[in-house]
Amino acid sequence: MSKDTSKAPRRGRTQWGDLAVRWSFMLPTIVLLILVLAYPIWYTIEISFSSFDMMTFGAGEWVGWENYAWVVDDYRFWESLWVTLVYLIWALPIQIILGFGIAYMINAPWRGRGLLRALFIIPMVVAPVVAGGIWRMLLDPIWGVINWVFGLVGLGPFDWFGDPNLAMATIVIIDTWRWTPFIVLIATAALLALPRDVFEAAKIDGAGRWATLWSVALPLLAPVIAATFVIRWLGAVKMFDIVLASTLGGPGKSTSVINLFIYEEAFRSLNFAESAAMAMIVLVLTMLLTGVFLIGSRKLETMH
Amino acid sequence: MSTLDIKDVHKAYGSVQVIHGITLNIKDGEFVALVGPSGCGKSTLLRMIAGLEEVTQGEIDIGEREVTDLPPKARDIAMVFQNYALYPHMTVRDNMGFALKQRRTPKSEIRQRVDEAAKILGLEDLLTRKPRALSGGQRQRVAMGRAIVRNPNVFLFDEPLSNLDAKLRVQMRSEIKELHQRLGTTTVYVTHDQIEAMTLADRVVVMNGGVIEQEGPPLELYDHPKSVFVAAFIGSPPMNFFEGTVEQGNVLRLEDGTQLQLPVSDPKGRTEITVGVRPEHFELADTGWPATVSVVEATGSETQITARLAGKMIRVLVRGRTDVQAGQDIHLTVKPELIHMFDPAPIPDVALEEDH
Repeated sequence: MSKDTSKAPRRGRTQWGDLAVRWSFMLPTIVLLILVLAYPIWYTIEISFSSFDMMTFGAGEWVGWENYAWVVDDYRFWESLWVTLVYLIWALPIQIILGFGIAYMINAPWRGRGLLRALFIIPMVVAPVVAGGIWRMLLDPIWGVINWVFGLVGLGPFDWFGDPNLAMATIVIIDTWRWTPFIVLIATAALLALPRDVFEAAKIDGAGRWATLWSVALPLLAPVIAATFVIRWLGAVKMFDIVLASTLGGPGKSTSVINLFIYEEAFRSLNFAESAAMAMIVLVLTMLLTGVFLIGSRKLETMH
Repeated sequence: MSTLDIKDVHKAYGSVQVIHGITLNIKDGEFVALVGPSGCGKSTLLRMIAGLEEVTQGEIDIGEREVTDLPPKARDIAMVFQNYALYPHMTVRDNMGFALKQRRTPKSEIRQRVDEAAKILGLEDLLTRKPRALSGGQRQRVAMGRAIVRNPNVFLFDEPLSNLDAKLRVQMRSEIKELHQRLGTTTVYVTHDQIEAMTLADRVVVMNGGVIEQEGPPLELYDHPKSVFVAAFIGSPPMNFFEGTVEQGNVLRLEDGTQLQLPVSDPKGRTEITVGVRPEHFELADTGWPATVSVVEATGSETQITARLAGKMIRVLVRGRTDVQAGQDIHLTVKPELIHMFDPAPIPDVALEEDH
């Protein structure tokens, strides 16, 4: 008993020292995170509930939900959300299926596989604005190489940026070109990590190529596919650089994704408070949908 | 059920040959264990029988049918893998029924056969579980269940027990033996554990460096090993070896000059030989080979003595108890029929591999 009491304070002191050391290591990171992450978020929240004061470039008078009401009433906001949704519905499945499909195919050992993998990285290291520019040139209705190729087989010319439906397709194509390699990389890593003997067991059990893919490979890859989906989903919601560099949201508003709209509202129309409110709505929507998706995919996983 | 014939099979990866011509005829219903140290080619041979590995040269027949170039599914074999290789996303029932489903067996029949196999293996209560909710022993049992529902011609086991703890390993060993006695399916069993091989198999095939070193019933290998390698590999604790030259017919002169009296002279009359004595065949006596005891380990049923003879560590196993103490000088004798004489050959380190 007496032993315990004599020991306790010493242990307490070392714990305090330990704690101090730990926090002192974390402090720089914490300060940095507050500066670059917490403060901007707070700033956005603050001005979304205020009128924007151009003089101080900060929150002016508190206006409550007024900005939000303005945004919700604005049909252009809903249109942009719809455009983003259409883009997501096309781009994500295409990229995931292409990414995993290509990974599945180049996973088989063959000559030149390494070179191909290296080539796959290129789109990822190209700046999005440059990617948009490159594709603008390739797809140019008059000078572009792609229309020329289509012309050779008697098709076209297509107005890639002028036709509303084609413009959306163009955005999806550019985004897919840019992001599929990333998914290929993740999928390749996932495929390499799959247990080999399970596939051998499937071979011995008499599963053919399709049965193996469908009953063994896909279920085993499901968690990775779900994770990739979330990563791409989050990336795609905030996409606007490609649009900015290629179609600028046009023609009309047909490719004006939500982030482009927010950007234009803020920096062209100078409606900072309203665009902050939009950003908050998009943030909350994204978080909600991501949560629903994660819970759903976990359910699916345990069900399967 | 079926015979399995392996005819002069070779395997090479590029220019590296790993199997150098193996011929093995396995009878219908026989249990054959392939045993040897890692890298001896035993798993490669098994995988060639399964069809997971191409045969570079030679022929494999199952029953009357040549299967050398057939894919695994056309061979009518079932395999149990070292890491179980269960489908992690399927229930035990689906795991066991997967092969039948691939063959488009009617659902009711799959159900019935899985139930039967589950009953044999005591898995009835686990059928709705996923592999991750099972213990190692249970997973192993499911892997075996997956093999037996198919009622294959040949069972292949690839070190199935090496991931289990010692106690479970002994238990599963007897379960495998019981299963074989019940089903009578031709079985090829790969292991690096000679005790598993000895206790399970009708016939043990000792492999070394891609060739068969010796094959035969377990006790024949124990009683009459043909080489230092087999002698060292079979038996636990492993055999003691003494390398030296024979002088005056039956005196063995070791490298350091120590002279040991052999109970018999070498029937083949060699001058350079390696003499082998199993630890359990030494007897303590008043005269004989002199040794100094360094460690005495008693387990109750037997006592293992580690001693030094001419500077070399040897092991002696005595039944029951003994009053020998560490540091004491002892003398050892061997019955003439229990001493082994071999051509000189490097003594493998297999004893060290025994438990890992």
